[in-house]
Amino acid sequence: MPLLGGLLRAATCAAALLALTALPGPSRAQESEAQAVQSDAAKAPAAPAADPSTLRICASEKQPPLSMKDGTGLENRIAVAVAEGMGRKPVFVWLAKPAIYLVRDGLEKRLCDVVVGLDSDDPRVLTTKPYYRAGYVFLTKADSGLDIASWKDPRLKTIDHMVVPFGSPGEAMLKDIGRYEEDMAYLYSLVGFRAPRNQYTQIDPGRLVSEVAQGKAAVGVAFAPDIARYVKDSAVPLRMAPVPNDTVTSDGRTMPQDFDQSMGVRKDDAALKDALDAGIAKAKPRIDAILKQDGVPVAATN
Amino acid sequence: MRLGQLSRSASVLAMVAVAPLGLAGAAFANDKLNELAKSEDNWVMPGKNYDSNNYSELTQINKSNVKQLRPAWTFSTGLLNGHEGAPLVVDGKMYVHTSFPNYTFALDLDDPGHILWQDKPKQNPAARSVACCDLVNRGLAYWPGDGKTPPLILKTQLDGHVAALNAQTGETVWKIENSDIKVGSTLTIAPYVVKDKVIVGSSGAELGVRGYLTAYDVKTGAQVWRAYATGPDQDLLLADDFNIKNAHYGQKNLGTTTWEGDAWKIGGGTNWGWYAYDPGTNMIYFGTGNPAPWNETMRPGDNKWTMTIFGRDADTGQAHFGYQKTPHDEWDYAGVNVMMLSEQKDKDGKMRKLLTHPDRNGIVYTLDRTDGSLVSANKIDDTVNVFKSVDLKSGTPVRDPEYGTRMDHLAKDICPSAMGYHNQGHDSYDPKRQAFYMGINHICMDWEPFMLPYRAGQFFVGATLNMYPGPKGDRQNYEGLGQIKSYNAITGKFNWEKMERFAVWGGTTATAGNIVLYGTLDGFIKARDSDNGDLLWKFKLPSGAIGYPITYSHKGQQFVAINYGVGGWPGVGLVFDLQDPTAGLGAVGAFKKLANYTQMGGGVIVFSLDGKGPYDDPNVGEYQQAANK
Repeated sequence: MPLLGGLLRAATCAAALLALTALPGPSRAQESEAQAVQSDAAKAPAAPAADPSTLRICASEKQPPLSMKDGTGLENRIAVAVAEGMGRKPVFVWLAKPAIYLVRDGLEKRLCDVVVGLDSDDPRVLTTKPYYRAGYVFLTKADSGLDIASWKDPRLKTIDHMVVPFGSPGEAMLKDIGRYEEDMAYLYSLVGFRAPRNQYTQIDPGRLVSEVAQGKAAVGVAFAPDIARYVKDSAVPLRMAPVPNDTVTSDGRTMPQDFDQSMGVRKDDAALKDALDAGIAKAKPRIDAILKQDGVPVAATN
Repeated sequence: MRLGQLSRSASVLAMVAVAPLGLAGAAFANDKLNELAKSEDNWVMPGKNYDSNNYSELTQINKSNVKQLRPAWTFSTGLLNGHEGAPLVVDGKMYVHTSFPNYTFALDLDDPGHILWQDKPKQNPAARSVACCDLVNRGLAYWPGDGKTPPLILKTQLDGHVAALNAQTGETVWKIENSDIKVGSTLTIAPYVVKDKVIVGSSGAELGVRGYLTAYDVKTGAQVWRAYATGPDQDLLLADDFNIKNAHYGQKNLGTTTWEGDAWKIGGGTNWGWYAYDPGTNMIYFGTGNPAPWNETMRPGDNKWTMTIFGRDADTGQAHFGYQKTPHDEWDYAGVNVMMLSEQKDKDGKMRKLLTHPDRNGIVYTLDRTDGSLVSANKIDDTVNVFKSVDLKSGTPVRDPEYGTRMDHLAKDICPSAMGYHNQGHDSYDPKRQAFYMGINHICMDWEPFMLPYRAGQFFVGATLNMYPGPKGDRQNYEGLGQIKSYNAITGKFNWEKMERFAVWGGTTATAGNIVLYGTLDGFIKARDSDNGDLLWKFKLPSGAIGYPITYSHKGQQFVAINYGVGGWPGVGLVFDLQDPTAGLGAVGAFKKLANYTQMGGGVIVFSLDGKGPYDDPNVGEYQQAANK
């Protein structure tokens, strides 16, 4: 029976997320290297003071293509559109860490006031109404016969490598269909064999796309916003096919693949949430244009 | 001063019991290597001899004159990073190995200023980034030749290759790939020659490399057998009588049934430590490493046969016994440490053939090496808290759940830390005193699990380790991280113990001169009185020591040699200039003071009484000879 780890059980349930956030949070930076080449101590960003005419946006320098230091990330541009819709000046507070740290190390430390891309049911924050809905997709070469549309497709058990982000529903399903053990070394080779323990490690989405484009992986599974830009720009034609939202594991549990995306603020910041909702509504045409510009396939929000 | 005959006579020296070779099958170069090992002119294999006891019969250097030890000559390898293990000495030559990129040098003991040959393999530079814990290598092996094939030096490379070099010329005779760095598997282990085979382990358990032990034909590099640590019985190479004397250790099918689903395929259990061999039982003895992944919730079950002491037939690889020390590991207590063989009377007065093994988990185990039965299992220090005891009847450790690591439990003051109370150092056994001299880590840790949710069903589960001195050290100043002890495996008692500023990482060597020799991380070679541990002598090396000393005789003069060059896991902060204390799984924090005492280096230093050595006559090796030569 393929393995579904305890952490999978936790991850697919928002209530469990809430329970886990009650764990004592470690006070030290998590950017430490398990094996070492260079030190990478994350310094606290210089935080501008809160000011009602500005919108202090928690942003990661290193979360391509959603957020990058040059401000061209998908969600950087959406943030600017929403700020302008609110009549406020966008001020980016950059963290030199991946976006997974923004809530804990940015928002909760009051260095900034809004995180742009979170699940609408994220229990740690007060969320706006969703401003788009997107999901996981099967990524294949357009000219391959691999028109995969479901994790039940038997071809997934026999194809060459699959590439999935660590700690994602894709990884969980890879384990569920029993091919994680074969792919594990390949996946780790894409992150230089960092064995994450206290160090967050993730496959770069651009790398994930190029592995499929170059035929090193037959199928990739990724969250569409993470890869859309690279798929659009790929010289090798690629195809994204939605993973059905009613995907079920081998022991009968649902594993949702589509997620409403919202902006999140601190729980005591209801006023800002309301202002963001208004700004998002006003900026909707611009948001939709930005999503289209990056080739993000979207679904209707719930 | 001139050559005596004392070092030649095997019978005078045979206090180290070597069982008769009758069962060993055809006597190839095994006899020759065994004979070479008996000569005190040589240090012909890691551990000095097949008992792997780092014990020398030489007495020229002894308790009363050891303070006269001075450097006789030195050699810098030209490399930094940690220099683990020790050189070999055979046939009047010293063979020196190094950290990555794994150079090998042959030096003439009569004129070491002239390098006889050097091997500098070109390696895939990707190997550097794959290696987890500095770019170390634990040493060389020697095969004496059989008349047709010349004597060989065997070496491993970080990029996963094993090579055989002509011992006279340094030419590569064969080279094969044992480990594939494309799956995160490297090699740091010293190879081990038994008869006509060279035995090699594996590395990369952190990345789910499924561990294996392989025997290659020493002349050609052709694979003879390979035994995995996990998986179906036919992959484990179990003998029909596997654990027959101790069925409660487990017998069939456990390499799969103690895992969920296919998790054994990425189960770890690599071995990168040390071996011992008994020609009488014809078994090689070694331990397998930790299971993968680190997160114990992802691999329910005992995870056999990781963390196991194995006795395997040298010719076929088949396991006659396997004793798992740490079922379902939670702490990274890779079970690959030194195995030392001895013959001692047990508590009932019966003479036993034993193996003794200080494990990462803080327990020093002594087993009957004929069948794997437990004789004793004692705490290496009374501060061990992960286990309350080991039940000798069942073999299982009694865990204290307060010090377990689980994703819902913040654990403080776990002793030992993930580095173990004993790591890769090679210790020694003194048969006169029936004492094991152990170089020990005194390091404990906090283990903080955390879970970071992200979005779209993504999350990251991790654990932060913070390490610091054990309770007997100085927790304010991060010193007192090591110990050296004299241990009796039969009584379970310590004859003496001393604290050290840093972990005694490299191991010890003992002699009939009644001294124990070892190197320290902060850069000293030390000699202690075997009876009471009194410090008799020390010398400041150019850099910290993470290898063990050797001693040998050459033309009637006794020498002590040791590698210097700090690094290894305790040195990762220093070597890679890391500041975050939780980096290196906490080793950076634990050893934050090390850089105040030493910096990197790389080489060998050789000592003798008054520094007598090959250049006492300064004309030796001179370009312009004195007149009337």
